[in-house]
Amino acid sequence: MSKNGLKIIIVGAGKIARTIVAQLVEEGHDLTIVDISYDVVEEFTQAYDCMGVVGNGATYATLKEAGIETADLFIAVTASDELNLLCCTIAKQFGDAATIARVRNPEYNREVGYLRDKLGLAMIINPELEASKEIARILFLPTALEINSFAHGHAELIKIRLPEGNMLDGKSIASLGKNITNDILICAVERNGDLVIPHGDFILQSGDIISFAATRKSCLSFLKMIGFNTKGVRDTIIVGGGIACYYLADQLLRSGIDVKIIESDTARCEELSELLPKATLINADATDKELLLEAGIHNAQAFVPLTGIDEENIVLSLYAREVSNAKLVTKITRITFSEVISRLDLGSVVYPKYITAEYILAYVRAKQATIGSNIETLYQLFDSRVEALEFSIHEGSAIIGVPLKELKLKKDVLIGFIYHKDTVIIPSGNDIIQEGDNVLIVTTHHGFTEIGDVLQ
Amino acid sequence: MNIAMIRYILGKVTMIVGVIMLIPCICSVWYREKEGIVYIITSLSLILFGFLISMLKPKNTTIYLKEGLVATSLSWIFMSIFGAIPLCLTGEIPGFIDALFESVSGFTTTGASILSDVEALSHTSLMWRSTTHLIGGMGVLVFLLAVIPTKGGSQVNLMKAESPGPTVGKLVPKLRQTAKILYLIYIGLVVLEIIFLLCGGYTLFESVNTAFATAGTGGFGIKNDSLGSFSLYGKWVVAVFMLLFGVNFNFYYFIIMRQFRKGFEMSEVRVYLAIIAVSTTIIAINIRHLYESLGLTITDSFFQVLTVMTTTGFSTTDFDLWPTTSKLIMFLLMFCGACAGSTGGGIKVSRFIIIIKTLKKEMNSLLHPKNIKKIQSDGKTIDHDTVRSVNVYFVAFTVIFVISSLIVSFEGYNLTTTLSAVTATINNIGPGFDAVGPTCNFGGFNILSKLVFVFDMLAGRLEIFPLLILFHPLLYKNIYASAKNDYIEPIRSK
Repeated sequence: MSKNGLKIIIVGAGKIARTIVAQLVEEGHDLTIVDISYDVVEEFTQAYDCMGVVGNGATYATLKEAGIETADLFIAVTASDELNLLCCTIAKQFGDAATIARVRNPEYNREVGYLRDKLGLAMIINPELEASKEIARILFLPTALEINSFAHGHAELIKIRLPEGNMLDGKSIASLGKNITNDILICAVERNGDLVIPHGDFILQSGDIISFAATRKSCLSFLKMIGFNTKGVRDTIIVGGGIACYYLADQLLRSGIDVKIIESDTARCEELSELLPKATLINADATDKELLLEAGIHNAQAFVPLTGIDEENIVLSLYAREVSNAKLVTKITRITFSEVISRLDLGSVVYPKYITAEYILAYVRAKQATIGSNIETLYQLFDSRVEALEFSIHEGSAIIGVPLKELKLKKDVLIGFIYHKDTVIIPSGNDIIQEGDNVLIVTTHHGFTEIGDVLQ
Repeated sequence: MNIAMIRYILGKVTMIVGVIMLIPCICSVWYREKEGIVYIITSLSLILFGFLISMLKPKNTTIYLKEGLVATSLSWIFMSIFGAIPLCLTGEIPGFIDALFESVSGFTTTGASILSDVEALSHTSLMWRSTTHLIGGMGVLVFLLAVIPTKGGSQVNLMKAESPGPTVGKLVPKLRQTAKILYLIYIGLVVLEIIFLLCGGYTLFESVNTAFATAGTGGFGIKNDSLGSFSLYGKWVVAVFMLLFGVNFNFYYFIIMRQFRKGFEMSEVRVYLAIIAVSTTIIAINIRHLYESLGLTITDSFFQVLTVMTTTGFSTTDFDLWPTTSKLIMFLLMFCGACAGSTGGGIKVSRFIIIIKTLKKEMNSLLHPKNIKKIQSDGKTIDHDTVRSVNVYFVAFTVIFVISSLIVSFEGYNLTTTLSAVTATINNIGPGFDAVGPTCNFGGFNILSKLVFVFDMLAGRLEIFPLLILFHPLLYKNIYASAKNDYIEPIRSK
């Protein structure tokens, strides 16, 4: 993997930067991190093999010091939307770098297309919006822990936890294919914190967390077949009226789901009530047990804590688990303790930072891979321990025309599905990949940039 | 404490010492000297030994600051001992402590010797002494970083512990690339100097040795009179290259990147050049009456200012015979040292810039007690931690200087000799005044004093703290605890 790395400048050494820097350095890119605080920059250069520049990323002098003239990519992820946009605008003037800005404010979000065109941005990322989209997908199919869409929405990657006494308990994956359905493909199984890319003789157990790829239709029928409820929720309680709450409530209300929002700040409640006339706003502190009962947590079908404090979100979810059967989606901002958090029964956990990082990584990889096959999208699953990559297959690739069973794949690599001329094929050993197809690869390896990397 | 990683680094350093010991071996083949056999056996056993130690690559390669400091100081101590072995075994320097002194003096680029007759040494041993300067100048760990692939960013702590100066920054985002660039500039300058000396009619052996000794700002000569017998051309070539090796290497990077303005705006380089110019002028005026021609006056004063300021320690003349003013200036320059990020020793120009600015700030706050002023350099605010570390460095330096002088004083040499001997070793210069002056050597001291000098030289090269931390009791508690727990590997999210 000694391809030439890109020269990347990141402004704003926050949590998102931390997530992407670790990954980008590992993939061999040259990183320069810019922040106004000496301490933070120092911390970054200690922890990762990158260069640090202290200064305001919107000034020419600082950008020049960071090497903007020769940079390939410029990412602005400071806390302020305006500063990010300004940084990108200035960076655009002096270099030939593609620019990515984080913009969270809903007011700007309505003008995303305009901003991107006029300011020449390559991408605008909005962690809150992406997180809320993911939460909404889960609420539409509450049985799932996580849902990612692939192949431009034609297929999905769904994560479920096998409950006690499920009919799949003790069955091998091969027998699942024979007896139940051939339309889904189990890509990864997490058991007691260990991750496996399973083969046919792998025996499933209750408590396993399974990720499988399927089309929407076969997914629903599969879940029904193994005894899961596939109805979407009809009402939701959201705690915390931040930006993510607005985006989520907006999507849910549009699809006719009732939304109750508990927010402690009166002014924010008034603001939200103007923005979301259909939502029920409760101005109170959600850590008050009585209040949660009064708000109907017992009978709620979904409970989504979205406060800015991770600890509060966790405790609220754990409490809701005790008193109700609601579908839980917990937002976690800090990713440092994800190992510990994944051991708690918090229902679905959404990490906005991961989601954002995935988008950026996918972009960087796509930018880098100019020869051979391209990465169309990249998803990180199981706290980025597993990657699902969608490649488009171009002429001359080594894997074209060879039956899959004859391909010598690396260990822990699985071909999830082939997307061939608007149809999704869940592959068997006899299928072949053709030019122009899109192929989903699931793997525990990191840093694949072209389809040839899956071969030994 | 990541003991496994420290072991791994020490193994690799042992291998590097073994490999560079092949350079004198080549020399011995050329001159058909039997000393080469000792060198080749030592070299091969070091390579084998290092290979065995570092065979197992530790899983956890994280190096925190403390591991960086410990690994650095241990590397240097081991390296010095290994370097002394062949000198001792060939019988050219029979006492092991003497050989150790010579080896430490070589690696730390001090250039102080216990030998009275250098010319009696074999070519092979002379070559080895110069080679230790070469590797010691830029640092063995920086070399290690350039050749082994590293993962994660924590290895920057190795470079921080070894490279001189109050702040150590990278030139490019990748550490390995930075180390490579530094070594390329370094080797490039060495090759250039060899070519210039060859053009001056010197033999290959003379040119290579002199260039190696200049590069590390070391100062081991291959003649008894050091560079005294060099021609005017030779003296100027060496003087100019001493000047170049004393400059912060970031300067060369800027020049290579065609950022000339950025290079010449580095305040440290400017102050460095200014000090050289002013000192040369004053000394030239002061010693004018000792010389017949103005040219020779300037040559000698320029050369001596550089040799002391860059802490090289070559000599073309016995500056011990100069008037007091000149001697005092030389003495002060010994402490000043070269730029940070160069191969020179001493306290470093950049530290003095910070100290003087701090002094000014403190004076200001006497006039306006509520005055807040940040110390700036090159248009950038210097972080408070850096300022503090500079002040602490100054204090630690003084304490070590005082204690060392006290121990050496029991020998009964006069004040000038005692103080200048400690000064010359702790600042990695080489010659001092009086009994350790340019024409004399350190052979007369007893074993205790020699060990003090060995410590001072290492402390000076590694900038004190890596060495001092070895004496901290908490460190051993740490090592004991982690040895007992067999070092619990941290859980990684990936």
